Amino acid sequence: MKKVSSLKISISGVRGMIGDSLTPQLAAAFAQAFGTYVGGGPVIVGRDARPSGTMIEQAVIAGLLAVGCQPVDVGVCPIPSFLFLTKESKASGGVAVTASHNPKDWNGMKFISRDGLYLTPHQTEEFLDIYHQGEFYLVEPERYKGLRSEPNPVEPHLKKLLSHFDVESIFRKRFKVAMDCGNGAGAVLAPRLLGALGCQTVFIHAVPDGSFAHHPEPLPENITEICRTVRHQKADVGFVQDADADRLAIVNEKGEPLGEELTLALAVQYMLGKNPGPVVCNLSTSQAIDDIARLSGAPVVRTRIGEINVVDKILAMDPRPVIGGEGNGGVILPDIHPCRDSFTAMCIILEYMAASGKTVSALQKGLPKYFMIKEKVEGSAEQAYRLVNLLKKKYEGQGKMDLRDGLKIQMKDHWIHVRPSNTEPIIRIIAEARRPEIARAAVRRLKRQIAAFRQKM
Amino acid sequence: MKLLKIGISGVRGIVGESITPRLVMDFAGAFGTFVNAKPVLVARDTRISGPMLHAACASALLSSGCSVLDLGVCPTPILQLLVKPLRAMGGISITAGHNDIRWNALTFVSRDGTYLNSFQGAEVLDIYHLGKFKKVTTDHLGRIKDAERAADTYFEKLADFINAASVAKAGLKVVIDACNGAGAPFLGRLAETLGFELIPINHEPNGFFPHDPEPRPRNAQQVVSIIKAVGADVGFLLNSDVSRVSIVTEMGESLSEEFTFPLVANDLLKDQCGPVITNLSTSRMIEDVTRSRNCPLIRTKVGQSYAIQSLLQENGVMAGEGSGGVALAKFQPAFDGFLTMGAILEAMARRGKKISELVEELPRYHIVKEKIYCPPTKIHSVVNEVKRFFHKHDLDTSDGIRVEDKHGWVQVRTSGTEPMIRIIAEDRAKDRARQRADEVIHFINLIIK
Repeated sequence: MKKVSSLKISISGVRGMIGDSLTPQLAAAFAQAFGTYVGGGPVIVGRDARPSGTMIEQAVIAGLLAVGCQPVDVGVCPIPSFLFLTKESKASGGVAVTASHNPKDWNGMKFISRDGLYLTPHQTEEFLDIYHQGEFYLVEPERYKGLRSEPNPVEPHLKKLLSHFDVESIFRKRFKVAMDCGNGAGAVLAPRLLGALGCQTVFIHAVPDGSFAHHPEPLPENITEICRTVRHQKADVGFVQDADADRLAIVNEKGEPLGEELTLALAVQYMLGKNPGPVVCNLSTSQAIDDIARLSGAPVVRTRIGEINVVDKILAMDPRPVIGGEGNGGVILPDIHPCRDSFTAMCIILEYMAASGKTVSALQKGLPKYFMIKEKVEGSAEQAYRLVNLLKKKYEGQGKMDLRDGLKIQMKDHWIHVRPSNTEPIIRIIAEARRPEIARAAVRRLKRQIAAFRQKM
Repeated sequence: MKLLKIGISGVRGIVGESITPRLVMDFAGAFGTFVNAKPVLVARDTRISGPMLHAACASALLSSGCSVLDLGVCPTPILQLLVKPLRAMGGISITAGHNDIRWNALTFVSRDGTYLNSFQGAEVLDIYHLGKFKKVTTDHLGRIKDAERAADTYFEKLADFINAASVAKAGLKVVIDACNGAGAPFLGRLAETLGFELIPINHEPNGFFPHDPEPRPRNAQQVVSIIKAVGADVGFLLNSDVSRVSIVTEMGESLSEEFTFPLVANDLLKDQCGPVITNLSTSRMIEDVTRSRNCPLIRTKVGQSYAIQSLLQENGVMAGEGSGGVALAKFQPAFDGFLTMGAILEAMARRGKKISELVEELPRYHIVKEKIYCPPTKIHSVVNEVKRFFHKHDLDTSDGIRVEDKHGWVQVRTSGTEPMIRIIAEDRAKDRARQRADEVIHFINLIIK
């Protein structure tokens, strides 16, 4: 396999390694291109909790100032609060210094439009054209705008959450919540939100210093500590945020992780119960969503993988979808803001607990049972493309095929999905069935098939 | 042609043309590589482009593993003095001193608190040209630390050095025009430290310069217009980073910036004798002063770096320039405007004399300073050709061309900061000084055409 490139420039922004590809010079050049693209005005600049955040943030500020923008420095800020602020403050756009769930040595930049949304693929293309042309609109100092700072960037987001959800009924329950912020940006808002909801809280890894006591992706294997904490503290629920606080994992009152797929499933079940309407999620998200929606007579619309694809679909649909998201713990509530938001997800779960009077494990029992396997094999995007064509012939007539993102085949009692990763030179394999042995068998068969195709790939 | 001047201890240019985030980061990265992952002080003057250069410097220093000790808006001499007590390996002062608002610059300060000397400067420049900057991994990145409180240390040292009690006793009333520069936020502290009554003007550190930030008579109208009305004892003008001072007397006479250095010397050399350093463009007044005190005078090339290196090598008492910069070796090896004002106030207080009376003790010369624009690509050859004009004279070529006789001198040299040829002439007689300059200017204009 070829060496993994340490610089990724894609529709989800720029990512690179500190001390290697992601230099101050590179960050400033992107900021200048972005400032040129948005044509001046205030630009919100913030970062997740990584230790390298300051270095990149300073470079971004220098780049924005040089092209006549007014950077508004918000410091460490959860990404959903950042997106919300960008929209609310009527800024020209935003630059978030974050590498999401990548390990500590990485950092990056995400570019945000004036609506508080990630740039769409078309916008990204225009913006990258400016970057590649390398001709930035440097202004003379007479036209420099000052640097502003915003010490309380989460306030508008917090206000919105507290006005939208039933704070009173959650407050009355005095839930005991164990919370793992993973030393990420979520720690800036989580204590204030849970406090306002009347929760008793036990925090772990709540210093937003990016030290990442565990891997910053909230997968079951990374969150054993919070499970123990829930048991020892007899908490009603445990929550885990990823590094930039857009995704949420849930632990029930017995200290068992629900698995990231069930965050969205629980949220969809509650929201549709209140207000039936369309649901949007990506192709790899659990079939549990379809079963839940069917009970309310609500349609489920599937999209390609990538948050922006889900969001684009949500914004394009009329009537507006009630809820959307991804199986990785990303819940999107369009009424709050069309982005993945772990705080919104927490509010939904707590409100569900309060409204139903049930424990998390009881709510979990009410969900359709599925078993999902996620694996990956080596392979470039080009190899994935060849593989998909070979598999398409091989599986001809065995199920309903979807070719929007790799190959997804819906069969009678299970589905499989094969697609190239957006961020790494690997091919992802996902299978889901009601019974574990069926999912396992499907993956075994698929991998055998891939091995057989290796020479042709 | 984009204007960019790379000197021994820094880089200077026009913001948006030659001064870009990239250039600033490359130079700061080269400096960070030079000091090798140790703490660096960073300060800026009030220019509106300052925050851009500051952020670019900070980012590049952090990336090279240096921590940034952030002084915010702060005069260069304060940064220089703080390098040692804060145990930094150097400093970067973001200021274009006396240049107008379009300009900005990085000045590199060594671990000794001095401008980089030519060897250190060459090393930074080599790293810059090589383009290989130290890049550390996440765990070794520097951090930004707020060091604004550290300025207290400077004023404590100043209070120890200047006889503040005698200044206070004299009850002096002082007008200071900070030109809205880096000195502006510190004027109150200075007045408190030295015990004088302050009448500040242009003391908003907002980055808008009410006039060119060059302390000299043509920028002194505001001070001149109020000084008699408020009954002040003396007026001072500062440049944007407080390395230069010019004086307005209590009578409202705006003195040439050439007076500042000999005024300080005339008083100081009474108590201590030793080598005095100046440059080849500075008025003869200092020659008369040093001769009367029996102190040797050494002339160097123009620029703080050269003067200070000579001060240290010759174990000198003081160094100064006709532009209004003065350094006293016992305080710190740096041109320091706050110290300069303090020394003059102390002299007035100690001797019980008015500033105009102190000025009367100095010989009067007439100095003419002119500059001619010349494209940077041919500037040195033009200056070289001026030798033909002076072929009958003894030439001093240590900085451009300088010709001297009994009555005066004329010097032709390239500017260290702009694409300009400077012509400086001095004579006892006003018309002869003018004539010395005009003859050369005429000749240079013929060459350039």
